[in-house]
Formats: sequence, C-alpha cells, structure tokens
Amino acid sequence: MQVTLKVYRYNPEKDKKPHYDTFTLEADPTERVLDLMERIKGLQDGTLTFRRSCAHGICGSDAMRINGMNRLACKTLVQDVGKKITVEPILGLPVIKDMIVDMEPFFESYRSVMPYFINNDPPPNGERLQSPEERERFDDTTKCILCAACTTSCPSFWANGKYVGPSAIVNAHRFIFDSRDQAAKERLEILAGQFGVYRCRTIFNCTLACPRDIQITKAIGEVKEAIATGKLD
Amino acid sequence: MPLKRNVSFWEGLKYKGGGPMWAWILHRLSGLGILLFVGLHVLAAFLTAQFGSDAGIAINVVYESWAFQIIVYFSILFHAINGLRVIVLDFWPALLEYEREAIWAEWSVIVPIFGLATYIIITKALGG
Repeated sequence: MQVTLKVYRYNPEKDKKPHYDTFTLEADPTERVLDLMERIKGLQDGTLTFRRSCAHGICGSDAMRINGMNRLACKTLVQDVGKKITVEPILGLPVIKDMIVDMEPFFESYRSVMPYFINNDPPPNGERLQSPEERERFDDTTKCILCAACTTSCPSFWANGKYVGPSAIVNAHRFIFDSRDQAAKERLEILAGQFGVYRCRTIFNCTLACPRDIQITKAIGEVKEAIATGKLD
Repeated sequence: MPLKRNVSFWEGLKYKGGGPMWAWILHRLSGLGILLFVGLHVLAAFLTAQFGSDAGIAINVVYESWAFQIIVYFSILFHAINGLRVIVLDFWPALLEYEREAIWAEWSVIVPIFGLATYIIITKALGG
C-alpha cells in the first residue's frame, strides 16, 4: 500500500520556524512507523533526525506523536494508524531538531523523586527477602521504560513544566510501595509539594499513552492516597 | 538553539486523548459557564437594586432565555456528575482501571436527565 508520511521538521541551523515535509512511500500494513522513518532517512532524506535504539519497545527512545497521540514508533504498525500518518515530536519539551527533544527537564524531574533503592540497614547474608504479595504491590510500575510518552501527554505538564509528571510519580511509586525500601516518607513529602501529585487532574492521557500499559493514573491515585492517609497498604 | 517548550493551547487541544481528556476540557468549560451565569446573575441584581438600571433587566432577559437556560443546565449537570466521577476515582484509585466504564456510566446518567429537561424547556418555550 502507498503511505503518506507528514513529518514535523525543524533544523535550528536553517529554520526560524518548524514546518512539515511530506513523503510518499510503499509500505506493508504490518510494518512499523519506525521502519518507514528509517527508509525515508536511508533513501529519501538523510537529514531526517529522530532517536531510536533497540527498536523493540524496550529502550523508550522513539516516543513521538503519531497521528496526534503519543506512541513508540517501533510499536506502532501502519495498519493501526492508516495510510495518512503525521509524525511530530512529543509536547512540552524543547525541540532540538525534528523529532529530537531535550529530555533533560524530564530526567531532572525523574531524579528529584529519588528513583533508587534506599535501605540503610546492614546488608543481609543472602537476598533481602520479600513475599510474592509484597512484590506484586509495585509490579506494574517496574515496567516503566522512561520514554516520556506519559509525561508529555499530560495537560498539567503542558501548562507547567515544573510539574514532576506521571513518569516521575510512577518511578517513585515503584520504590514507595517496595517493602524493602526505607525512604517512602521522604518521597511522599517531595510528591506532596507544590509541583507534586496534586497537579494531576485525573485526565487519564498518561495511561492511554503508555506503551507498557502501566495503570499510571491508578499509581498516581495510590500515591495521593498514601500521602493523605500515611498508609502504604 | 532549541525551540522553547513546544506546546501551545491549540497544540494541546489537538492531542488525541479521547473521551477522558474531553471530559476534563468540558469540566473546565462548564465551570466557566457556571461562573458566567452566577456573574451575570449577581451583576444584574446589583445593577437593578443599586441603580434601578435597565441594563440589569437586559441582562436578566439574556440569562433567563430558554437557550441560555439549556446551556446553564448542561453546565451544572455535567460539572456535578463529572465532578462526582472524579471524586469517586480519587477516593478509590483501584477503580481507575475502569475509567472508561466510569465515563460511560456518567453519560448514561447525564443524557436522559438532560434530554428530558431540555425537552420540557423547549416545549414550554415554544408552546407558550
């Protein structure tokens, strides 16, 4: 089938404003949008710029707006988005070139919630044991690949870039509800702040955008509940 | 030089968040609608009582018109029911897995109540 790909372009060395280029190419319905972009870069326009690494939905490099919604280009099939495809960078972060955005503000928010294991007890001889139920408690939020699809789909984040965003909250949730971790209180204090969880308006864009199907709004709700009740059940 | 944060009101509005995002936008718009109605109500009462002004009566005519009443009624009904949905989901986060079903349930309450009231308002307005 013949596919038309309308691509957002911005070259800081040439362009004052972004514009769109349109490419026409033959594609199989089961090809991915990333395959089409690779083909355009290889055969039609080598200046087309985008991030990609594993190309299998694990590294989270190629999050972009495809037909108006955040998705991973490597997990989006042509048959799922139709013959006319528009590809744009994710919203709310500064565009460096074409599809590439400056991810630093996103990672700054991520770092602010201490997304690492904290336990000041002396390490045991073996592993730090945990029951299957305790592990299950935060299983969903371990799946995050930091692609930023959720944070950049969030109207609260669009309105104010200081909001830590869904992704940082998901990664805080992963440790807050881990029975082996000891810094839940500190993380909850950070997230109870001015730019923390209460910026969430339960809009649900994040959950719909997540390529890993994480129940993000639910995780944010659980963090809100933990802040309100002081309980981690 | 990278562009500044690439988001504007229209860019955001074009994002395809679907039903849940439109429920949120409508919640904001209906809130503004209620504010407009209450504002007009207070302004009309103030102008009439304080100055005996005809402007107050003119404003009354606008917000008491049946078309305006339908908009106000929708704003209040939607804002209340949607607000209840958000409150329920915020209190019981486990239910957030059923967000889409919650929106369907919300509309299944709004549509018949709004439809019935609109029918009554219009038939009374046209029937005299």
